[in-house]
Amino acid sequence: MSDQQVQAGAVRDKEDVVLEVEGLRKTFGGLVATDDASFAVERGTITGLIGPNGAGKSTLFNLVTGFYEPEAGSVRVNGRDVTGMAPHDVADHGLIRTFQTPRKLEGMTVREAMLVGPQDQPGESFLTLFTDPESVAERERANLDAVNRILEEFEIDHLARQPATDLSGGQMKLVELARAMLADPEILLLDEPVAGVNPTLANTLADHIERLNDEGTTFLVIEHDMGFIMNLADPIVVLDQGSVLVEGDPEAVRNDDRVVDAYLGGGNA
Amino acid sequence: MSRLTDPRGHWDRLTRAERGVAGFVVALLALLFYGFVTGGFGPAYVLYLVGLVGMYVLLSFGLNVQWGYTGLINFSVAAFFGLGAYGTALLTADSSPIAGGFNPLVGLVVGLALAAVVAYVVGVPTLRLRADYLAIASLGLAEVIRALVLNERRWTNGSAGLRGIPGFFEGWPLLDRFPELMPGLRVVVVPGSPIVLQEPFWQAVLNVTLVFVFVAASYLVLRRVHRSPWGRVLRTIRADEDLAEALGKDTYAFKMQAFVLGSVIMALAGVFYAHLNLFVSPGDFEPINTFYVWIAVILGGSGSNRGAMFGGFVIIAIREGTRFLGALLPDALRFTLPGALSVLPDGLLAALAGALSLVESTYATVVGNFASTRLLAVGLLIILVMRYRPEGVLPPQRELIWTGVADDTTRADPDSGVREARGGGSDE
Repeated sequence: MSDQQVQAGAVRDKEDVVLEVEGLRKTFGGLVATDDASFAVERGTITGLIGPNGAGKSTLFNLVTGFYEPEAGSVRVNGRDVTGMAPHDVADHGLIRTFQTPRKLEGMTVREAMLVGPQDQPGESFLTLFTDPESVAERERANLDAVNRILEEFEIDHLARQPATDLSGGQMKLVELARAMLADPEILLLDEPVAGVNPTLANTLADHIERLNDEGTTFLVIEHDMGFIMNLADPIVVLDQGSVLVEGDPEAVRNDDRVVDAYLGGGNA
Repeated sequence: MSRLTDPRGHWDRLTRAERGVAGFVVALLALLFYGFVTGGFGPAYVLYLVGLVGMYVLLSFGLNVQWGYTGLINFSVAAFFGLGAYGTALLTADSSPIAGGFNPLVGLVVGLALAAVVAYVVGVPTLRLRADYLAIASLGLAEVIRALVLNERRWTNGSAGLRGIPGFFEGWPLLDRFPELMPGLRVVVVPGSPIVLQEPFWQAVLNVTLVFVFVAASYLVLRRVHRSPWGRVLRTIRADEDLAEALGKDTYAFKMQAFVLGSVIMALAGVFYAHLNLFVSPGDFEPINTFYVWIAVILGGSGSNRGAMFGGFVIIAIREGTRFLGALLPDALRFTLPGALSVLPDGLLAALAGALSLVESTYATVVGNFASTRLLAVGLLIILVMRYRPEGVLPPQRELIWTGVADDTTRADPDSGVREARGGGSDE
């Protein structure tokens, strides 16, 4: 039990910070969902974000990714301020997210849905479709190759031409993760990646996340499944009542009294 | 060109729905041709119908870009159609209170530009919000524009409408005098009822050519932009706008482009209409036209260009077909109670007679106003489609991947294209 590995509040003096969140605040009417939340994510890590129900994890995600506008505070990606930007502008800065409930794409096949991932496609400009069809075709070919390759890596290439709505919950999570990778993120934010997924597939997902992390992708993961997140992430940031309670390595966090209290609704209530 | 070299094999590869559609279209064309040959329909009228089909196909194309591709609910189809029609009419008509007498090409450009500007102005405040707000705003817009055209007489002639609109080819070399130059023909197919092809016929030939060019040009543009990364983003927005945002797509910009493009195609239909009818009035802004186009798109299959074409065709078949169906039915039904029934008690007999006379009078009302029952037909049709084939008759069949990049983009499940994602189904 090495107490020095858990710190009250977030660890801020990290070396190579990708995402830095400073004093974020958001209220819904009288409810303070996020209150002066600050933390930093170091490049190359899988940082876990946990906390009891209602701690403000999802709100914090929405604030960071631009879906909510914060009332105070700032968000920086690689030192550049993205506070208050529209979600697609935040995504442009390399911050890509997935959703808690997989989003179904009606009327699309899996590979079509995957092809939405890559950023800055020339074919997304109406005019370019007419002025420069060659470059559209060229990029489209490259993207389709990338889609096929990544589907193989995720071992779901047999699903490529299935309707995106006909997948199991776990397969959808895999597709979401694979598609997010196609956007070539600086940091990938996963919102409960194994919620509603069977244990076998959860392990597969964990393996993929670790593999991608080894290949250089930084992750910030919200998860309720303690076994999953404790095995996967280091460090762990614990959120309680809208702000950061402690940060530390999984083993230490698990045994920290403040964390136990927060989860059991003890002392500080 | 497999359909030329191997028609049999091509037919075998069609889905059941496609065969049904092909059969339906061929049957209606055969009927039309029969009426034409026997002199039942005037030749100019037949071509006028073809022109109307083309016009509805354009309107359906426009709405398909907005609703079918992107999921934007636009209830002001008639307004954009009317803007196109008035845009060209105000610049070309003799009776224009502003500046008549321009070449119809100028009218075309102005009509389309007018629709584009209005679409943009409406889009700025509404497209940033959720889909429902556009629906409400567009419903209002249609009425606002109609009221403006009706009341601002100094600009629009108000309820009198605009007369003296020239044909589209007026002032063009050769085509200008084409109908007069063509010889009058007399073709006798069925003895006793010759087909006379004169100036109005050649004029109608020109009109059909014009609408064919409009439809072909729109189709080529739409096919290219739909099966592309651009079309793919629109389909993503239709399915889940938040997801598109999270993946870095500027959904507002994409929605604006789709909204303006669709509105411009609707205005193109309006431009054609003005030069076909040679007269426009505020009646052309009636909301019923909006709903006809909605039905065409839903019936054909939201998101499918071929479906939009088919839908436009069916709507004209219903709209114009009901005119003739009424004439074919007998004017009244007469029931007489058989004498054998007189053994029944008087009270029951009276009730029976009363019921029969109710049936008679209802029948007479329906047949006497048969044209109005087309609304009934349309209503029934839409209920049947939503109940039995909510994805439409010809749903989108291809993956939206740039042509030539993937080997085969035919969907494995061609009969289950873009369904109505939002539980309620039709938005009527």
